[in-house]
Amino acid sequence: MEKKEYDAVILGGGLAGLMAANTVAEHGFTVAVVSKVFPTRSHSAAAEGGIAAYIKGNSDPNDDPDFMSYDEVKGGDYLVDQNAAELLSQKSGEIINLLDLWGAPFNRQPDGRIALRYFGGQTYPRTRFVADKTGMALLHTLFEHASGFNNIDFYPEYYVLDIVKNGNNVNGLVAMQMKNMDPIYLKARALLIASGGLGMIYKHTTNSYINTGDGYGIALRSGVPLKDPEFVQFHPTGLYPSDILISEAARAEGGILKNNKGERFMAKYAPHKFDLAPRDIVSRSMTIEMREGRGFEGGYLGLDLTHLGKEYIMDRLSLAYDAAKTFAGVDATEEMIPVRPAQHYFMGGIDVDITGANSDLNGLFAAGEAACVSVHGANRLGSNSLLETLVYGRETGNTMVEFLKNHKNVEASDGTDKILDNAYKYIKRENGEHFGTLLNELRDIMWENVGIFRDKNKLEDAVRSIKKLKERSLNMYVTDKTTNYNTEVFNALETRNMIDVSLAIASAALNRTETRGAHFRDDFPERDDTNWMKHTLAYLADNDIEIKYKPVIVTKWKPEPRVY
Amino acid sequence: MVEEKEITVNIKKYDGKNDPYWKTYKVRADRYTQMTEVLRRIKTEQDPALAYRASCHMAVCGSCAMKINGFPRLACRTMAFDVMDENNEINLEAMDYYKGIRDLIPDIDTFYDRMYKVMPRLYADESVIAGENEQRMTPSEQKEVWKFQECIWCGLCVSACPSVRMDEKFLGPAAHAKGYRFIADGRDTKTEERINILMDSAWRCTSCYMCYEVCPQDVQPVIAIKKTKSYLNEYKGNTEVTEMARKHDDTVFDLINNTGKIKESTLYLKTFGFGEAIKDINYMRKEGKLKYALAKDNDVKNIDEIKKIMGDKK
Amino acid sequence: MKVAYYPGCASHGIAKDVDIATQLIAKDLNLELVEVEDWNCCGGGFMDDKSEEIHTALNLRNLNKVKNMGYDKMATPCSVCLNSHRIAADKYEKDPELRENVDERLGRANIKYEGGVDSEHFIWVLIQDVGIDNIKSHVKKPLTGIKVGTYYGCQLLRPSSVMGFEPAHNPHSVMDLVAATGATPVAFPMKAACCGFPLMGSNPDVGLKMANNIFTNAKGNGAEMLVHPCSLCHLQLDATQLKIMDRFNQKWTMPTLYITQLIGLSFGYTPEQLGLGKIATNYLRSRGF
Repeated sequence: MEKKEYDAVILGGGLAGLMAANTVAEHGFTVAVVSKVFPTRSHSAAAEGGIAAYIKGNSDPNDDPDFMSYDEVKGGDYLVDQNAAELLSQKSGEIINLLDLWGAPFNRQPDGRIALRYFGGQTYPRTRFVADKTGMALLHTLFEHASGFNNIDFYPEYYVLDIVKNGNNVNGLVAMQMKNMDPIYLKARALLIASGGLGMIYKHTTNSYINTGDGYGIALRSGVPLKDPEFVQFHPTGLYPSDILISEAARAEGGILKNNKGERFMAKYAPHKFDLAPRDIVSRSMTIEMREGRGFEGGYLGLDLTHLGKEYIMDRLSLAYDAAKTFAGVDATEEMIPVRPAQHYFMGGIDVDITGANSDLNGLFAAGEAACVSVHGANRLGSNSLLETLVYGRETGNTMVEFLKNHKNVEASDGTDKILDNAYKYIKRENGEHFGTLLNELRDIMWENVGIFRDKNKLEDAVRSIKKLKERSLNMYVTDKTTNYNTEVFNALETRNMIDVSLAIASAALNRTETRGAHFRDDFPERDDTNWMKHTLAYLADNDIEIKYKPVIVTKWKPEPRVY
Repeated sequence: MVEEKEITVNIKKYDGKNDPYWKTYKVRADRYTQMTEVLRRIKTEQDPALAYRASCHMAVCGSCAMKINGFPRLACRTMAFDVMDENNEINLEAMDYYKGIRDLIPDIDTFYDRMYKVMPRLYADESVIAGENEQRMTPSEQKEVWKFQECIWCGLCVSACPSVRMDEKFLGPAAHAKGYRFIADGRDTKTEERINILMDSAWRCTSCYMCYEVCPQDVQPVIAIKKTKSYLNEYKGNTEVTEMARKHDDTVFDLINNTGKIKESTLYLKTFGFGEAIKDINYMRKEGKLKYALAKDNDVKNIDEIKKIMGDKK
Repeated sequence: MKVAYYPGCASHGIAKDVDIATQLIAKDLNLELVEVEDWNCCGGGFMDDKSEEIHTALNLRNLNKVKNMGYDKMATPCSVCLNSHRIAADKYEKDPELRENVDERLGRANIKYEGGVDSEHFIWVLIQDVGIDNIKSHVKKPLTGIKVGTYYGCQLLRPSSVMGFEPAHNPHSVMDLVAATGATPVAFPMKAACCGFPLMGSNPDVGLKMANNIFTNAKGNGAEMLVHPCSLCHLQLDATQLKIMDRFNQKWTMPTLYITQLIGLSFGYTPEQLGLGKIATNYLRSRGF
């Protein structure tokens, strides 16, 4: 097997991975960025509405980083580590300025400073944006900046199989070049997992096809736990029926949700914030409206922009307009956009602390959606995912720099062949089930039983069914035996990851007998701070999930009722 | 409920060794079904070995570029019902120009190489990097930069561009849009270097608007190229191509400014010189076109209007 | 029917035969072509390389002339002139900053652009206003059996969001007109590729190569003649053809006609009356015209 050595290897070429790569490379260390797609194809590109930031001298005069942190803590239903939220707010302004320095074309105010607008759950307007393709604009900016470093090597279209360990130390990873199936061992003493989310485990998701939870699966198999995996965000405005995201910007700019009676129903559920209440609340409210017969035939509600005027819509919400037009045949300047909730974000992730380091494996780091730093708690606010990728991408990058300065090379390991054998077994098998059958079943189970409204029966059923799928997956096989861009092999490996992470989500959801943020239990509809003000840690133990706990860090804000 | 139909999808399969062949699939679809969803259904339900790229399914990642019924498009941005023919059939092939790897997946490394050639990143002023100055940008400047920054590197324009195929010194539409994006950005400090990289190549574009047509993001690379060409006077270098362009460009300007019209014979002489013109006159004579070449059209009567319109900015 | 007519520089120059044939068939079809008063060069493909503002302003001056003459439509036989005027009007409408600058330039000449004039290609007028059946009814000498390569080039079709008449990847206008003359239209893969003319002022080697590819591709697909819709394609594919054939050592020629010349033939005009070049004239002689 070919072998290359770097100081750091980064799994994922989205915003978090690239920010960390830039940071580590600035300090002269060598970096490999490995991704199953070319970096600009990463899911970060799909983030639309913007990035929240308090910029000194360019924010609402009454705003303050503390207000921003408070919004995050309350938005996350008090499962937020408050020191992490404070850091996120404090560093938000400087990260925007850094992006501006690197060329991000943020929308501007008439005096040339960066413009801002309101987003869901914000006390003051803080969202900075590039039209409604903010993620795409920032992703390209970061990639372009990274492409200027000689000490960053990109490995695009390489699929990562597993982490190589030496005892309790990280020692790189094994990947396969997709176009010729050649394996490669990328040896490094620091490994960052920044491989994004897992939307494809749900039948309805706004996520990219590539969001298959690979990083979570790899971590679980290496004995690293996922923190708070029961918290899955469902975005209120997935376009019906294709589940393409209609950005929260649509409501931030004045769009209104209406039921089949033409009522602005959010007035009932969030009498102060209306349509701009946090996403968990809006998605639940929408589901209730539809359950009680006030949805439109087929199962959707209306997002009304028509009163905003054509010019305003075209200027500020061109992507939403375009998506509705192209994918649903609706002219948003004249008719309501058909929307329904769809899986959107995973608040849980690889357990790391405020520095981005994991405590189970020496040299393992995680950032972005792949990580759980606990800034989002039980529900993420809009505009905070981009912010987290960048702030914690940079923080984690700096942590890696310190780690690399203090840690000498680790001896080479011999586990690489076994990793390869585990992947090859699907190719070698001559019969069984192919990935598509298992995957489609999994996506149905997750949507029906581990969705917006949960209860004991549904969740027990889900855990049972996923365990059966896991057993069946041992007999998964790959029909295509060729060696040039054999996507079926990678789909099988993705399915392996998706089954493991789904099992963690369903088990943790069954375990948490309360309602908090995005985790809503019909059988336990209240928040229970006495018993559940704690993080879940889910470990994969053979065919089961083992659960431990970790305290929530509280600095300034004691839990109070969450009313919007 | 939404009406479903069975559609027929013919996909050009390729295994990297043997000749490509067409394989036919039948899929249920409705008027909301994107071509990426059609492909997902085929792959998970019928042919797990089918190979294609797809990621965001909302036209921001640029993965799923391919030829659909012979025309370069993003699969995600294409609804099955919009492209199927009267027999409900759709043909899918890999993009032109790039080397094929497998089925609908081409090797587009050559596209990335073109992008890297134009220094695709902002070089800010030293004083800004040092934190002594802040960067500002007017809303209209932002709009201009963003227009050309919206490129998603899908590769469709390069696959469809005639100049790319015939002229290895042409950087291609996407790289030009990217290069011009930084020229238009007042925060960047490398304008002169950028003009040096782009100018010769810009005059190798044949302005056929193919890139404008196929771009799924409406980036209009050909417009970026035209805007780049307008920096010709600031270009300090000189190549065979730019030298001719200068002569041609200046003569066109003078002719219109002085007569309101283009006189081909004058333009010809000034661009190509006397020797080449004599040779070409002979060809034209043989084709019987000399009599037209020597005819003289009226000038614009109200030439003052033209001069005022074309005059320098106050 | 009266139509404002913008001939463009080329069809008053080396491509004069484009104008000659167009005028002839227009008269037969009861189309009165009223030349735009004191029109100026649109600068298509060249002036916008120098200045977007000047280019736009020059085109809008013409459109305003048409408006003042009392017409809401301007027909041109040249695809480049068509593209130039349509792009200019489109940019003016969509780009407020450009609009401001263009207004200032026009204002210096006391011109206030009012809009309300659509630029169209002469063949759009033929298809939409005259009608294919009407054209067929004027055919006196059907061109039965002649295989005509139907070439569109670039500027007539692209960008389709601005040109709007027909799908850029699946056009039919030239084919429909050729069929009306009784000839057999021959579609060929490079029907909408560039003829290379725009490169003649900067990179002529590649420009000529592009033209050669068109000829070769049309011939390879069975065309014995070629028709096209553009005065500048005419310069490239007809006036310059012998140079191209020499350059690429071709031992054959491809009779190349502007579309109204082909229609004129079917209306009974002689090659001389239609101003055809020698390649086409000689070929048609051999075919009994």
